[in-house]
Amino acid sequence: MGYARAASRRGPRMRLHFLELLWFSTYAELRAERSRSYLGLLWWLVEPALMMAAFWLVFDRILGSGGPGYLPFLLIGLVVWQWFKSSVVHAGQAIWMNLVLIHQVRVPVLIFPFVHLLADAIKFAVVFVVLLAVLWLAGYPPNPAYLSLPLLLSCIGLCAVGGGLLLAALMPLLPDLRFVVEQLLAVLMFLSGIVFAFERVPAAYAPWLAWNPVLVLVDALRGVLLHGRWPDPAALLRVAVIAVALALAGVAAVRRLAARYPKLAA
Amino acid sequence: MSDFVLRLERVGVAFDVRRRLRGEKHWALQDVSLELRRGQRLGIVGRNGAGKSTLLRVLAGILRPDRGRIARADASCQLLSLSLGFVPHLSGRDNAILCGLRLGLRRREIDARLAAIHDYAELGDFFDQPVASYSNGMVLRLGFSVALQVQPDVLLVDELLAVGDAEFQRKSAQAIHERIHAGTTVVLVSHDEDRIADLCDSVLWMEYGRSLLVGRVDDVLAAYAAAQG
Repeated sequence: MGYARAASRRGPRMRLHFLELLWFSTYAELRAERSRSYLGLLWWLVEPALMMAAFWLVFDRILGSGGPGYLPFLLIGLVVWQWFKSSVVHAGQAIWMNLVLIHQVRVPVLIFPFVHLLADAIKFAVVFVVLLAVLWLAGYPPNPAYLSLPLLLSCIGLCAVGGGLLLAALMPLLPDLRFVVEQLLAVLMFLSGIVFAFERVPAAYAPWLAWNPVLVLVDALRGVLLHGRWPDPAALLRVAVIAVALALAGVAAVRRLAARYPKLAA
Repeated sequence: MSDFVLRLERVGVAFDVRRRLRGEKHWALQDVSLELRRGQRLGIVGRNGAGKSTLLRVLAGILRPDRGRIARADASCQLLSLSLGFVPHLSGRDNAILCGLRLGLRRREIDARLAAIHDYAELGDFFDQPVASYSNGMVLRLGFSVALQVQPDVLLVDELLAVGDAEFQRKSAQAIHERIHAGTTVVLVSHDEDRIADLCDSVLWMEYGRSLLVGRVDDVLAAYAAAQG
């Protein structure tokens, strides 16, 4: 027969199909994003630069609390935060935004948040390379501790996967969540030491904040990039466990609720 | 060896009346039993709200039953859909690939059929332009051309949709008829009883989410017509 057979329901063919769908959907998402605005992909670089300028103005120039080396310190925090925040927000809305499609065709719903997580990770990879170049020019050359970067970045990525998937799982049932997500993320940004150093947190709060994996990871990342300092293995192990647990919880939540999405009004 | 593709035993599907984590349920399908054999051409009739479309979505594997049992042979079931979320900024070609992947095709299978899709949709040079620049008719033609390239074991059709201008309507209707007569297992929901009598070899009559009667076309359609008064 001259037609293509539809995919069978199980087996390795299904997994390969998932990867092909994920990859092409991500390409489509990036293409569409490029066409949606005048500056297109340049926004990936302009947005963190604008945020850096704003925070530098307030914290360094006006409040005078920045100190020496505040600009690179801030830049690293904002670039990482931008990645984390975009991933959580975009992935968080992904299932809810695709309910019409979920009504029509049998697709694995995990594909929708994963497309955004992958697209945001690709964007971040580009921005991160630019960041490394900027740091080098600013007098922070590459150092041996760079070898720990893949591990640190993977852990941050897993936290984003966990946060994004948990939100994605609940958003179709509680669409009101989208109104509070931005506020929650703003609070989380300040609790993650993006604009101030972990050392400046009063001793009474430090043990509590140390449970925030994003804070610990951003702090370790700054240590590597600015001071050539290797991350503390014990702290890293603890946040790695939290990050993996978050990601697994996210996957489990989506899978558990998947049967309900085709029944929800789009 | 049984040649069944799908077997439903007292299947029910409930929807939440309101969007809540827990709450009141509305049973769109109450109690449906059905066996679909390979090569069977089943028509489904019933009034609006009888649960026909819900049943098709259960057969397609989109909805999971909340009660009852469903057994499937290793067969793919596909609901014929005309527009699976086209991305306006992407070209017709990229949208065709995306749509084909969503319908369960592998990338190389779609690539091998892109020329046929291009040809069938009659889009000319527009195939490589963004879908945002298409007319409604062009979008529907593209959707139909992609859907036509997928050959599921069981084809599920919710009303035979008339697509595009008169000429393309004739062409698309003919394509579906050819598919149905080529021996594919088909489930067809329609309000057009003449079309069901023409295309199907058996009929299921549904009422209030229940399978009321299933059997030969003439018998079931006669009983259905009598009940309508």
